[in-house]
Amino acid sequence: MVNSCGQLFTIEGIAASLIILMTAYIVVNNTSVYTPGDTHISNMQLEVMGSDALRMMDTSSNGTYGKTPLQTIIEQGDSDTFSTMFLNIVNNRTGTTRDTIQFRANVTYLMQPDYQTVNSTIFSNSSQSLIEGDHAVRVSEWVIVDKTPKDFPECPGMLSACSGKHAVLVEVLLWRD
Amino acid sequence: MARLNDDAQWIVLMGFVVSFSLFFLAIVLNQSVVVGQTTAEAVSEFPKDDIRSVRDVIIQSVFLDDSGTTLNRTHVQNEIQRLSLSRQGSTVNFSSNAIAGYTNVYIHYNNGVTIYNETWTY
Repeated sequence: MVNSCGQLFTIEGIAASLIILMTAYIVVNNTSVYTPGDTHISNMQLEVMGSDALRMMDTSSNGTYGKTPLQTIIEQGDSDTFSTMFLNIVNNRTGTTRDTIQFRANVTYLMQPDYQTVNSTIFSNSSQSLIEGDHAVRVSEWVIVDKTPKDFPECPGMLSACSGKHAVLVEVLLWRD
Repeated sequence: MARLNDDAQWIVLMGFVVSFSLFFLAIVLNQSVVVGQTTAEAVSEFPKDDIRSVRDVIIQSVFLDDSGTTLNRTHVQNEIQRLSLSRQGSTVNFSSNAIAGYTNVYIHYNNGVTIYNETWTY
């Protein structure tokens, strides 16, 4: 005959094992596992930082009326200054170590002389190029420039069409290396 | 089983209560992680900076001089519309009219998900 004593201990054992399982589940669940789906969180922060950087570059110094650094950079096709300035803003951190954000900047504009065709040229690059597996985010900023930038190939020879103000879109891909 | 021992049922009952409450706490914690992710997704999805930037440049363009052969305002406004459509996938429309000394600038932005309308007066 099966002895049916001590059933209470059996049930208590089951209850205790359930508690242990639940505790283990909570502990494991709360140690953050970084899945590809979670890159949204760091992408969001990167995007905010990038658009802030572009916005800062498109603000004239001390709030005075005049050209912003970004306008001057685009007008002169000065990709080195862009690179220095942008990397300085996004990579500065508290302390001495710097962040490792890389970027690739495009300038998009309408081609002369009929202003119908959209053209996009690579304007500036950081030292690392974008490789497969990098999660890049895109930020952009509108700039009104006084003339079509001198580096844009269709400008020479059409000086009259090049004059005047034009809106160009500066787009930056940025990612953390 | 001749006789069922039904002593100490409270202990069993408390065991179940505790395990079920822990289970629901686990669900709450599990959901809280997803909330952080969907918030980040929603922030990335919403074109806040695109709208701000295009609004800025539209307002700047209203004050451009349109005389002579340079046609600054015409060019800039044409460029804003075309570049928005091709590079940001958004339809941008704007017009202005002057009423009794004030000028209203109507700004419309639509990227298929988010629609933004504004009347800006100066």
